[in-house]
Amino acid sequence: MSFKHVWIVFKKEVKDIARDKKTILTNLLVPIILMPLIFFIMGGSFKRLGEDINENVTVALSSNSNTREIIQLVQEKIFADYPNIKLNGVVEDPIQAIRNNEVRFVIDVEENFAESLKQELPYTITILFDHSDTKSSGSYEIIAQAVNKYRDSIIRQRLESKNIDLSLLEPVKVVLNNAADEKTGGNFMIMMMLPMLISVLIAVAGIPAATDLVAGEKERATLEPLLTTQAGRMSILLGKYFTVTLFSIVGVIAQFIGVLIGFATSPDFLNMGGEASSQMSFYFPPLAMFLVILITISMGMVFAGLQLAVSTYAKSFKEAQTYLSFFILIAMVPAYATMMLQPSDIELYMFFVPLLNAIASLKMVLGNVINYTYLEIALATSFIYVAISLLFAASLFKKEKVLFRS
Amino acid sequence: MLKVTGLTKRFGDITAVNDISFQVGEGEVFGLLGENGAGKTTTLRLLATMLKPTLGTASLGGYDLIKEPEKVRRKIGILFGGESGLYDRLTAAENITYFGELNNMSKSEVNERIKYLTKAFGMEEYINRKAGKFSKGMKQKVAFARSIVHDPDIMLLDEPTSGLDVSAIRNVHDFIQTCRNDGKTIIFSSHTMSEVEKLCDRIGIIHKGSLVTTGTIDEIIKEFNGDSLEEIFVKMVGDKNEF
Repeated sequence: MSFKHVWIVFKKEVKDIARDKKTILTNLLVPIILMPLIFFIMGGSFKRLGEDINENVTVALSSNSNTREIIQLVQEKIFADYPNIKLNGVVEDPIQAIRNNEVRFVIDVEENFAESLKQELPYTITILFDHSDTKSSGSYEIIAQAVNKYRDSIIRQRLESKNIDLSLLEPVKVVLNNAADEKTGGNFMIMMMLPMLISVLIAVAGIPAATDLVAGEKERATLEPLLTTQAGRMSILLGKYFTVTLFSIVGVIAQFIGVLIGFATSPDFLNMGGEASSQMSFYFPPLAMFLVILITISMGMVFAGLQLAVSTYAKSFKEAQTYLSFFILIAMVPAYATMMLQPSDIELYMFFVPLLNAIASLKMVLGNVINYTYLEIALATSFIYVAISLLFAASLFKKEKVLFRS
Repeated sequence: MLKVTGLTKRFGDITAVNDISFQVGEGEVFGLLGENGAGKTTTLRLLATMLKPTLGTASLGGYDLIKEPEKVRRKIGILFGGESGLYDRLTAAENITYFGELNNMSKSEVNERIKYLTKAFGMEEYINRKAGKFSKGMKQKVAFARSIVHDPDIMLLDEPTSGLDVSAIRNVHDFIQTCRNDGKTIIFSSHTMSEVEKLCDRIGIIHKGSLVTTGTIDEIIKEFNGDSLEEIFVKMVGDKNEF
């Protein structure tokens, strides 16, 4: 093997692919433009949904509750402090009215509530809503808060009339304090999305390059002249291998830039339409960051080796594309399986499993729950997988039966 | 210059090349004549070090095929098939440079050689243009230049006129003549009688992996008592096919 030949092949392949408009478009420009666009559209719809849930709480009364007293109770006492709750008349068929989206809630108040109230007896307010409807279930908190506030005011009045100390109602005071490190701030969306995106991309971003570099060469009849130059097969393979790795990493960086632009321009996406967080800041210890970058790059190298092996085995460009498309599925399984995984739930075995080790490491660092031994295990296993995948690709590239399968 | 000794290649149960031996001298064009699937491409792939022989060996430019494959590659240039096989997104000069550098030529050597080849093949107008938009003829010239950028002593040409039109075939023939005039040893495989008769000093007829005969056209016609090479070829191949 000659490093000079490896460098010549690498330089040529990078130049060749960099001139391919399709690859540049799909690997670089699309992620940088598409991600912010997705975030903008999704962020906008999250925001609109949030506004609708909070500001458009439509309520109707059941026909049984269509009395002056009940209307007065609802309008002047229960919902008085809630201008966002709009009373929209009376409905004959409450279930149908909710299913038809005429109103989000139908309220039924016991007919003789006034009498019960006077006698200090309990009475029932029934709230009908559709739990499967995002808006209806989202607005429920607002309605429940209004009704509970009304209930509390009655309790207070009754206790005061009996000269009972109100503190009896609160035997325990609960104080909530956030234990999260202020430096990490953190955001659930980022911790959920970034490892998933990066792991899928690191596994698939090199596919266009890998397809082109061996199966493409076979189809263009450029591989045979290449094999008769003085460059050994290992030098040719390594030059191509580093090219695929480079384009995997470039693809991930492009996507990462796209995600960052998306986060910066559409913060509503991160907050799921809620209030903007002022705590949006991250702190990564440099060593942990360095280790996690190395693990991610190693994982890119593992996939580069496997993709080149598949491309070597394929008879044609199309065959390579078909086989390599399965890599997307392979990457999606651990990526989606661990989407909701919390840093504290990460187990030791995950750092031994390829791809899962990169996801677990990323989650650990993003969540600032760092165990350096686990990161070192992930790095060591990644290096082993790099060697295995490269040896596998090299063995196929040297096999006549495979290389000249056509 | 080139000596093949008992070269055999088996793929599982199939013997693609069966114990063939022949020699080709300096400045000589040796035609390997055979039907499709006769073993011509496998023989040339073996000589180009792309495949490893099951048995036998060959000496190219004084280097042994099995023991010194890298040194053998320094001595050979190949042109396989009618398709030129260029990198479309690289310029003609970049295509040639890539192969020159991989054959251990220095930058200045490559540049000098490109200057010479550009003039020799009349590529001045398009040498710095990307190969993707070239006509077939232009691509062919670049492929010729690429195959001899490192000035090899031995040329291996596997059906280089397959699928080409008349003028492209003429270009290939002229290229072979140029190589011959430069004193290169040439092995040229084909299944077209007329071009073998036109270009080759000696021929070898290959059938089902075995070399049936070798010699000049006259020697073969005399030996097999026929009127033409075509008649003898059909007779030989036909006879063998009956088995």
